Amino acid sequence: MKAPPLLEAREVTVRFGGLIAVDAVSVAFEAGELVGIIGPNGAGKTTFFDTLSGVRAPTSGELHALGRRLTGAAPHRFAQHGIARTFQTPRVFAALSVAANIDFGLQFAGRHRAAPASLSNVRSILELIGLSARPEQAAGSITPSQQRLLEIGMALATRPKLLLLDEVAAGLTENEIEAMARLVRRLRDELGLTVVWIEHAVRTLLAHVERVIVLHQGRKIADGAPVDIVSDAQVVAAYLGDEMAEAA
Amino acid sequence: MKRDLVLVAVLAAGALALPFVASEFAVSLALTCLMYAALSSSWALFCGSTGYLSLATAAFFGLGAYSGALVLGQLPWPFVIAIGAAVAAITAVVMGAAVLHLRGTYFAVLTFGMTELIRHAVTYWEKRVTGTVGRVLVDVPERETVYFTVLALALLAIVVSIAVRRSRFGLAMAGIGADEQRAQTLGVDTRLVKTGGFAISAAFAGAIGAAMSVRWTYIDPATVFSPFIGFQTVLIALIGGASTLWGPLIAAVVFSLLAETLRLQLPQLYMMSLGMLLIVCVLYLPGGLASLRWPGRPAP
Repeated sequence: MKAPPLLEAREVTVRFGGLIAVDAVSVAFEAGELVGIIGPNGAGKTTFFDTLSGVRAPTSGELHALGRRLTGAAPHRFAQHGIARTFQTPRVFAALSVAANIDFGLQFAGRHRAAPASLSNVRSILELIGLSARPEQAAGSITPSQQRLLEIGMALATRPKLLLLDEVAAGLTENEIEAMARLVRRLRDELGLTVVWIEHAVRTLLAHVERVIVLHQGRKIADGAPVDIVSDAQVVAAYLGDEMAEAA
Repeated sequence: MKRDLVLVAVLAAGALALPFVASEFAVSLALTCLMYAALSSSWALFCGSTGYLSLATAAFFGLGAYSGALVLGQLPWPFVIAIGAAVAAITAVVMGAAVLHLRGTYFAVLTFGMTELIRHAVTYWEKRVTGTVGRVLVDVPERETVYFTVLALALLAIVVSIAVRRSRFGLAMAGIGADEQRAQTLGVDTRLVKTGGFAISAAFAGAIGAAMSVRWTYIDPATVFSPFIGFQTVLIALIGGASTLWGPLIAAVVFSLLAETLRLQLPQLYMMSLGMLLIVCVLYLPGGLASLRWPGRPAP
């Protein structure tokens, strides 16, 4: 029998009053996948992430982690089931030190979870994300791109199986984006994490992921390998048309 | 941490010796200081770190006083205190279930509203069901017993505050204060932590209420649910610096002394100076007076 997916969304819908932000989206994430989610502004990407991490309960539909139903559970239960996320705008604890920010996850969701060696303690996580230079600095005083790395480190400290990254490359320079993409690949290749990565910048994402999900006006309009996605007529019309024209 | 404990021990020794050397007036003044030290540091234990501004201290104090009064004389003194603490803590758990998902002004206003609700409910009960306007407490313990009880409670509040700051529980509360949703996604069961913190701080207010009520020998809802006790506790903690250990303590001593000396002769001046200090603190010293001594010290 096939193992149940790491995380599965079934017909997930989120409604804000009359507006449907996420419209009956069904997706399953298998262990070890590196998946990208793209879509124009307002496509419902972040709202969908909010449901996947328990931050927002779906209006209807279900969420299952390794076969267990998590619909409507509080975010800490998702964290306990190995689902970690970052936020689009880094939400580090500004008054705490960089090291204490990492330690937070280790003290709670990551506390009793088995972990690969590189997630074993604060120092190993700081080394992994490349922030080991000054761990005693206040998190509020480091640069925005460092905060973005720290944000990932905080999520890693919960020792997840699945990592949800929300626009971690936004606002970074070309070089920083490359470094970020390498880090994401390492997390998957070396740590065996499943990574789901939302990015507004399509080109960055298509170059690095193996599977792409396209959201448009809250609906999933495509789900497949990057090569197939770029030639999908619906996707081209909805989104890539403009972006690719710009790129050319 | 070690220095904090040493300082607490020294202060405790001084307070312990006081009834044997000082006048009755000085001891009663010290009792007020200790009461506010216990109330404001236990208030700050939860509200200072999480940023949830509770105005329900008067409710817990009053419930502790009333439930203590009901069993006074029937149970040994330590049980009277424990029952005051338990009734307040249970009320906090119930109240917390209703309001702890709210933040900011909504939480503050609702806790105050519930305090009024409880006060009126007790008043109604006394008038209609038991047919009394208050209760005369006979069989009250010695003055010294009350003093040492309140001293023990104040010490316990401080020691618990120190211990909580160093624990995962304290870290969780600090995380809730900094960014509640982020703390949740990192694995903090925020509902459990908030309810627990609220209940601990309520238990202290209830215990203090039970201990102090016997000093008055006559209690009625208006006295023990006095909003003044609740507001003064909050003001002391805020002016002293709610996120620090020593801020609320120092402010408690200063304000109790001010209150006792000024309130008798110049009551308006006391309330005015309290109001002025609060305004100055909110505008220029949001971390309280303690931030002068410990600038930028993080919450935990």
